[in-house]
Amino acid sequence: MADRRVAITGVGIICAAGANVAEAWGSIQQGVASIGPITSVDSSLIRFQNGAEVRNYDPSQYFEGSRADHLDRFAQFAVIAAREAVADAGIYFTPTLQENTAVVCGNGGGGQITQDSGYIDLYQRARSRVHPLIVPRTMASGGVSHVTMEFGIHGPSYAVSTACSSSNHAIGQAFQMVRRGEVDLAITGGSEAPFAMGCLKAWEAMRVIAPDTCRPFCVDRRGMILGEGAGMMVLEPLEAARARGAKIYAELAGFGMSADAHHITQPTVEGPARAIRRALADANLATEQISYINAHGTATPGNDPAETAAIREVFGPRADRLGVSSTKSMHGHALGAAGSIEAVVTIMSLHDGILPPTANFTKADPACDLDYIPNAPRKSRPEAALSNSFAFGGLNAVLAFRAAP
Amino acid sequence: MPDSAVEEKVIATLASVKRIPVEQIKLDSSLLDLGVDSLDTFTLLFELESKFNISIPDDEARTIRTVSDIVAGVQRILDANKDGSTLGSTTAPAS
Repeated sequence: MADRRVAITGVGIICAAGANVAEAWGSIQQGVASIGPITSVDSSLIRFQNGAEVRNYDPSQYFEGSRADHLDRFAQFAVIAAREAVADAGIYFTPTLQENTAVVCGNGGGGQITQDSGYIDLYQRARSRVHPLIVPRTMASGGVSHVTMEFGIHGPSYAVSTACSSSNHAIGQAFQMVRRGEVDLAITGGSEAPFAMGCLKAWEAMRVIAPDTCRPFCVDRRGMILGEGAGMMVLEPLEAARARGAKIYAELAGFGMSADAHHITQPTVEGPARAIRRALADANLATEQISYINAHGTATPGNDPAETAAIREVFGPRADRLGVSSTKSMHGHALGAAGSIEAVVTIMSLHDGILPPTANFTKADPACDLDYIPNAPRKSRPEAALSNSFAFGGLNAVLAFRAAP
Repeated sequence: MPDSAVEEKVIATLASVKRIPVEQIKLDSSLLDLGVDSLDTFTLLFELESKFNISIPDDEARTIRTVSDIVAGVQRILDANKDGSTLGSTTAPAS
C-alpha cells in the first residue's frame, strides 16, 4: 500500500497555561508566562522556588468515585487531554475502529508522585507496608492503558520513553503506523507530572533549574523551569478525514530521529542537525518551505547555542528568515510531555496563523543569533513548521507539520 | 578552618570523585585538563556540600574553572556562614 498522508483532526492539552486547548493556546499565543511559585511541595526545602504547575487541579472534576485513585497524576493528565482531542475530532468509535486505533504516548519518569509517596511511607514514616496501587500507578505505560480503557481501544498501544524527547518519538511512531496503513486512527502525545519532592531534589542536584524564570536563548538565562501536563492529538489518514468532513488542523508530514552517541547530558550540534534533516527529507520539504520552528529551547547553558548551531547548519543563510521560539518560556519544560504540548502549540500556530513568542526575553546570547520572536506574537501563515525535541543522552526527535491542505 | 585544610579536603574529594591520584591535582589545574566534565562537577559539588556541610549556589557553581576556584568558593561560603550571612544557606531566596 502506498503511504497515506496523515491529518491531525483533534487536539487536547492540559498544562500550566490552561486546562484545555482554548485556554492554553489563548495564553501561549499572547506570550503569557505561566510560571510561578511551586505549590505542590514545600519549596522552601529546594534551591529553586518556581515552576509551571497545572493550577487549581482537582481530579474529582475529571474522574468519578475512586477512579482517580487508580491513576497517578501523569496518567490522569493523559486521559484528560486524550478526551479533549477525541471529542474535538468528533470520533465515534465503532467496534471496527476500536480494533484499528493505536495509542502511543510519551512519558519520561512514570508515576513519580506515587513513587515518592510510597518512599515517604516506607523510609520516612517507617511504615511496614505501602499503598497497594503503587505498581499500576507508577508504570510509565499507565497513561496509555487508561486511554485505551477510556475509549475501548484494542489496537497497537504502548508507551515510549526517551527522556525529554519521549512525546516526539511517540507521535512519530503513531504517525508511521497511520501513514503505512497499519491503523486507521491514532491517539498520541504524552504526559508528565514531575512535581514530587524526590524528583525536584534530583533536578536541584543537576543544577540546571533557574532560580527565577525561563529565558531561552538569552544571555542572562539561568536554566530551565520544570513544567507538567499533557498534550494529545488524533491522527487519521487525510483522505478519511476529508471523507467524513472532519476539521483538519494541519498535516503531520514527517518525522526524523537521531542519536548523538556522545554524552549523557551534553548535546552535540550534529545529532540535532541530523534529526532535523531527516524530518525534512521524510516530509519531502525543502528548507525554504519552513518558516517556523518550535525549538527545544530549554534555556540551559548547553542546549540553546547547540540548537541554534544545528538550525544554522541545516538551514544555512535561510536560517535568518525563520521564526524560532521556545514556548517552554511559558509552559515550562514538561520533560516527557514537552514534545506533545509543543506539537499542539505548533499545530495551532499553523492553524491560526500566529507564531507564539519566546516569553521573558531580555537580550540574546551572542552564541544564539536567530530570530526568536521575542515576547510578542507574530501574524504569519507558514507553509510548514518543525517542532524539535532533544533529550539528555542525545536522543533527538523532530516532527514536521504542513498547514492544512 | 585554615585555608590549607580546605584545600586538602577539596583535592582529596576531587581525587576520589575522579578516581585519580591526589598528586595529579594542583591548585592551578583546570577541571578541563583533569578531564572533569559537567557531570563530574555536579558529583564533586554534591560531595563537597556534604563534607563541608554547606550549600553551593548554582550561579557560583557555574563560574568554576580551576581547583583554586573551588577552594576559594568553598572558603567564601564557610566564612560567610561563620559571619551568619545567608550566602550558602540551604535555601535560596525566591525571585
